[in-house]
Order: sequence, then structure tokens, then C-alpha cells
Amino acid sequence: MPEPIRHRCLAVMPARNEQATVAAVVRGVKAVLDCDVLVINDASSDQTATQAAAAGATVLTLPFQLGAWGATQAGMRYALRNQVATVITLDADGQHHPEQLPLLLAAHLRDHADVTIGACPERLSAAKRVAWAYFRLITGLRVTDFTSGLRVYGRRAIRALASREASLIDYQDIGVLILLRKKGLLINEAPTRMSPRSSGGSRIFSSWYTVLRYMIATTVLSIARVGGKSRPSPALLVTRRPQG
Amino acid sequence: MSAQITAALLGLLLAGSILYLVRRDHLHGPYALWWLIIAAATLVLGFVPRTIDWLAHLSGVAYPPVLPIILGLSLILLRMLQLDIERSRQERQIRRLNQKLAILEEELTSLQNARLRTPKEPRGSSD
Repeated sequence: MPEPIRHRCLAVMPARNEQATVAAVVRGVKAVLDCDVLVINDASSDQTATQAAAAGATVLTLPFQLGAWGATQAGMRYALRNQVATVITLDADGQHHPEQLPLLLAAHLRDHADVTIGACPERLSAAKRVAWAYFRLITGLRVTDFTSGLRVYGRRAIRALASREASLIDYQDIGVLILLRKKGLLINEAPTRMSPRSSGGSRIFSSWYTVLRYMIATTVLSIARVGGKSRPSPALLVTRRPQG
Repeated sequence: MSAQITAALLGLLLAGSILYLVRRDHLHGPYALWWLIIAAATLVLGFVPRTIDWLAHLSGVAYPPVLPIILGLSLILLRMLQLDIERSRQERQIRRLNQKLAILEEELTSLQNARLRTPKEPRGSSD
């Protein structure tokens, strides 16, 4: 029986056809954090897996596409299996800056949160701001940046998100937050910097049809989960400006 | 009289197809039971259409011919609901299997790599 791998933290990156950026992001994370990097290759048709492995990441290759949340959940299950204490999720497309991770992690540990969202409301368009205000209204979640893929999860959040209950979530943002709130976990936000995607646009906001589908799915989800147990979250940390 | 022959023929055809499919093992467990009940019902209704009148009288439906339509539609709706529940359950299982397969594959690869690096294993291949 080999000694179980004990990490303090694990960076989880879902990636689908991101061969242009994935290696740089993996190296960036390894440069600033003393943690392993797990890339979940969501059935890419390009060299994402080889690029990520060459950059020093552990790679899980899904046999067929599960989408961003399904891939991230594979990372959560891997983390649970390997007794990881903290999971940091970020996108493989280079819109999240690895230099921001230590700040986010520090904020997470300082506030004893179960999940800390790296929020960057400045990048949102007017249409998204309206959509987010609507989501705040129907979910009752006091979050400024719902779709940010840059998040830090603690052990209790990892356990909740690796469960069967989380397997039918279709989008990684609101469904996940509603589940965590239902479990009574503490959701926090910390300001961060992001840049526009270096390749391609947002998957969700790519066409009116997908926007509509996303809005309907999320509305149905919010209505279906109404009245979940909620815990008052501390004052959001929006007053702290990100550095650098 | 000819309408009754049509009804009996349709019932016989449906029941026959279902029986054939169940016997050929194309329908699994609980589905086979459900469809056998449907086959029996169509046979009864096809050969004894008076059952409808009797059922309509019992349930207070004034116009008996709508009774099989209402019953049929309700059963179809129920069945579709049950199918979607089943589909959701399978979707969850498939997603989790997919993830577990990826995790186990990674563990297998790293175990194999670890073994290649330590050549003291007696039954390891010679290459």
C-alpha cells in the first residue's frame, strides 16, 4: 500500500482545448504556490493533456466531455481521495493571474471561509451586471461575481462538492453556491484582478440561445432550491484593493 | 360490428408485439411487467369494449369514449415523468463513472511509472 499523497493544497484546472495557454498557467501556479496542479482534460481534441503534463501538472483525462463543472468535480473527488485540505480552482485559458492566488488563499485562511470567490466585477459588461443583480435577487446569495472560476475551497466544501448530490449540477457557478449554502458553509468573496480571455470568448455568453438556456436553467434551479439554510456572511471584503 | 373487429385486431396486434418483445428479452425487468399489464388491458378492451361503458358508468363519465383517451394520456404522462426520473439517475451515474474512470486511470499510470523507476520488482518485465 503506497503512502497516501498528502498535499496542503491542490490547484484544480478544468481544461478543454486549451493547448495554447494551459502550460503557461500551470507553470505560473507552480511558481507562486507550493502545491500540486491537477489539470482535468475535458476530452480535448488537441494537445492539452500533453502540454499540461510537460509543464508538471497531474492530468486526469475524462473519457468524454462533462463540461466545466463535471471536470471540476472530478478534481474535487481526486482531492477528497488524496486528503487535500484546500482546493484552488482557476481557468486554464489565462484570464486568471497566478500571482493573485497567494492573496486569495491568504484571504481565505484569514476569514476561515469554506469557499472564497475571487471577484472581479470590473470585467463584467452592463448586460452581465443586470443578470447578476437578477441572480442576487432570486437566489438571495450576496455575491458580486457569480461566474468567477477563480475560487478557493476548504475541506468541508470539497466534501460537499464531491458528493453525489453535486453531480447533476450543470453550471459551476450558482448551483454550486446554492448547494454550499444549503450545507451551511461560509461563502466569502475577495477582490482580485483578471484579464480578458486570451483566446475565445465566454462559453456561456457566446450566443443569445446559450444565454437564454443558461438564464432559464439557473432560474429553475434557484426556484427549486428556494428556502435553503443560510448563514449570515461577514461583510464582503470589497474595500480591500488587490495589489500589483 | 366492424368497429369492434378493428378494436380487437389493434388490441391483439399491440399485445402480440409486446409479448414478442418481452419474450425476446428486449425489455428489462420492471418495464416488462408494465408492458405486459398494458398488453392485457388492450386485449380486454379490444375484445370486450363494453368494459369501457361499465368503467364510465362507475366513474360517472357521461361520454364513455373519452374515458380510454383520458386514461391513456394520463398513463403516458406518468410514464414520461418516470422515464425522466430514470434518465436523471442514469445521467448522475454516468457522470460519476466518467470521473472515477479518469481518477483510476491516473492512479494506474502513476503506479506503473513508480514501478518502472524501482527495478527491484521480481516479476517486472525485462525491457
